[in-house]
Amino acid sequence: MDYKLAPHIEELTKALGNTNERVIQEELETLLKFRVPMDEAKRTVLRKFKSNVFPVKQIKDLSSGAKTFEIAGRIIEIEEKAINLRGNASTIFSGTLADETGTCSFTAWFDFSLKRGDAICIKNSSTRSWHNRPELNFGERSEVLKLPDDAFPNVEELTRTSPKKLHDIGYSDMSISAVAMVVKLYHKNVKIRERNMKIIEGVIGDDTAKLPFTSWVPLPDVDIGSVVRFDGASVRMFRGLPSININENTSVTIVNPSLEEIPFTFESISQKPEPLPIGQILLKDGLFDVAAIGNIISVRPGSGIIQRCPVCNRVIQKNTCRVHGPTESFQDMRIKTILDDGTGAVSVMLNRELSEIVYGKSMFEAEEMIRTEMSRDEIFEDMKRVLTGRYLGVRGNTSRTEFGVTLVAESVWSPDDDITLRVSNLLELLEPVGENING
Amino acid sequence: MVEREISYRLFAKEFNDSTFNIHPKSEQLNQSEGRAPNFLVTPAGLMVNRLFVVGVVTEIDNIGTENDLWRARVVDPTGAFIVYAGQYQPEAAVFLSTLEVPSYVSVVGKARTFEPEDGSVFVSIRPEEMNVVDASIRDRWIVDTAELTLDRINTFSDALSSGLKGSKLNEYLIKGGAPESLAEGIVLAFDYYHTGEGYLQGLKTALRDSLKSIDLTCSGVSAFEVGNQEFILGLMEEMDVGKGVDYGKLIETARFRGMSENAVEIVVRSLLSNGQCYEPKIGILKMVS
Repeated sequence: MDYKLAPHIEELTKALGNTNERVIQEELETLLKFRVPMDEAKRTVLRKFKSNVFPVKQIKDLSSGAKTFEIAGRIIEIEEKAINLRGNASTIFSGTLADETGTCSFTAWFDFSLKRGDAICIKNSSTRSWHNRPELNFGERSEVLKLPDDAFPNVEELTRTSPKKLHDIGYSDMSISAVAMVVKLYHKNVKIRERNMKIIEGVIGDDTAKLPFTSWVPLPDVDIGSVVRFDGASVRMFRGLPSININENTSVTIVNPSLEEIPFTFESISQKPEPLPIGQILLKDGLFDVAAIGNIISVRPGSGIIQRCPVCNRVIQKNTCRVHGPTESFQDMRIKTILDDGTGAVSVMLNRELSEIVYGKSMFEAEEMIRTEMSRDEIFEDMKRVLTGRYLGVRGNTSRTEFGVTLVAESVWSPDDDITLRVSNLLELLEPVGENING
Repeated sequence: MVEREISYRLFAKEFNDSTFNIHPKSEQLNQSEGRAPNFLVTPAGLMVNRLFVVGVVTEIDNIGTENDLWRARVVDPTGAFIVYAGQYQPEAAVFLSTLEVPSYVSVVGKARTFEPEDGSVFVSIRPEEMNVVDASIRDRWIVDTAELTLDRINTFSDALSSGLKGSKLNEYLIKGGAPESLAEGIVLAFDYYHTGEGYLQGLKTALRDSLKSIDLTCSGVSAFEVGNQEFILGLMEEMDVGKGVDYGKLIETARFRGMSENAVEIVVRSLLSNGQCYEPKIGILKMVS
């Protein structure tokens, strides 16, 4: 049968450029075994391997769920692992890959005989989400090329953590160095694996952003207002929002602001953040302490008076918790809205206190209304009447959930900036030169 | 996951000038798990699926034969958006059936086109959310919309002066910081409408007029115009015995008291566009109380 196939395989190999002939043959034979007509089988194979010129990505551009792209880097670490894959013992290789833009973990599902220090290019790679970060995956369908050794800086250079501004920290940073000021700090007792531990939590900031931090080691002399330099702090991601973790491998030194030039002060960091266009906020999966102004274009179902489980705080219906079964419940009020400013749309969650402010009625008043005149649904309808179309300013943290980017509001206000100024600025830009205004 | 469509801001003029509707290709449908939306491409390069408008409802009619189909005109300073709400928009239909005319409303909805055989294209909005709002929200919407439209006009101007076309132009615009959808929209609009500086200038004039229609007493527009407006409003109050004021008679009376026909026209147009008065019948003006 082979000689009959040969011309077709040759044709396909030609059309597909650099795809392996053996892979094409296997694919074609499988299809023919299912008695797929030759023309149809060829079409399928072509389609499958067509996009062989894969888009090239750098590590900083990786996002979870990306498919069929090309990426290059140097292997920083690699480890062989024996696993049980659907009942079959098999070997995978996992490790870390780095380029000039960052590092990421990877899993190779096939033995490409890679070793630490190799500079490689992977064609037809994909990512999946692992520990809230994109992890590079490649296997039999991928092609791995060894690159000349000078394609990337050496391992030491790639693993050295260069100082970063907080705004630039993202998925591709496993470990960072930065200079930042402590703006919030508190001690907390936690129990981890039956051991009581004292940890420090708080917020640090620089001139670009603020981020939460956790220290698993004591930080002598560090207090609110201290400027610290830390090297080798690990970065954890949760729903796209980075947090800085300080452990025994992190070096923390206090910087004397009068001896070094520090581009920020306690005042500049603690200031209320300037509202950003929502389109710009959406560029990052998670941001700490940002502000936006837009129109409430929709009040989502689930807003209004709700019941919560007293154990886990989940929203419950008919006094039955998804996790804790039939239970007592307590009342709460919340508003879920979509805020849109013409550049982007973000979901905004308002807790009871903020809901009462924007709705203009307290939870008790709303409960009273339910008792006397309205149903729960009517409260929701009333909220829609009061809120839809209105302008709202919000401040809080954003994170990426399955429903897109959500901002959990910490404060809200009604934007009252002077539109007269904006009008006169615009008119200045629009006024054609030399036109007689009185004409 | 698919990002929520932005609710774009645009004036009725740009919306109604649009005749180019694009449907997703089957290939794109596959890639986006069947959720690629239709877009209306405007002459200024906006690819609109969802939009948010604030304006004055001046007419509501039930034009349905068997089922209710409500049609409303929502007027902004540059023209009118047509909104249709039928049986599949029950909330908006109920809203319109009880709404008083005129009133300020906000509308979130999808751009729809109707293309009868003869090649003409009618655009309208299929509402998702409607609500009554106040004049301050309307004013702020005009300012927002003017700002965003001007940004777009400037990007388009830049595209025109680059002399580039097609994918080269797309690349150039993205490098210049334009959002991807705008870059794509400008390339499409340029191909389809051959939009030139002339159209953009016309749009700028519309923006300027819109901004000038905002609450004249506080936006720094000449005291002269404010005086004229107060004069006309006073006159209308005087002449209106309950059925509105005949436009011709208004001009005549105003001329008699020393105001040119042209000036009356300017004031009346601005009163109409910012919703302080409306036309219940052609040629009859009525103040909004």
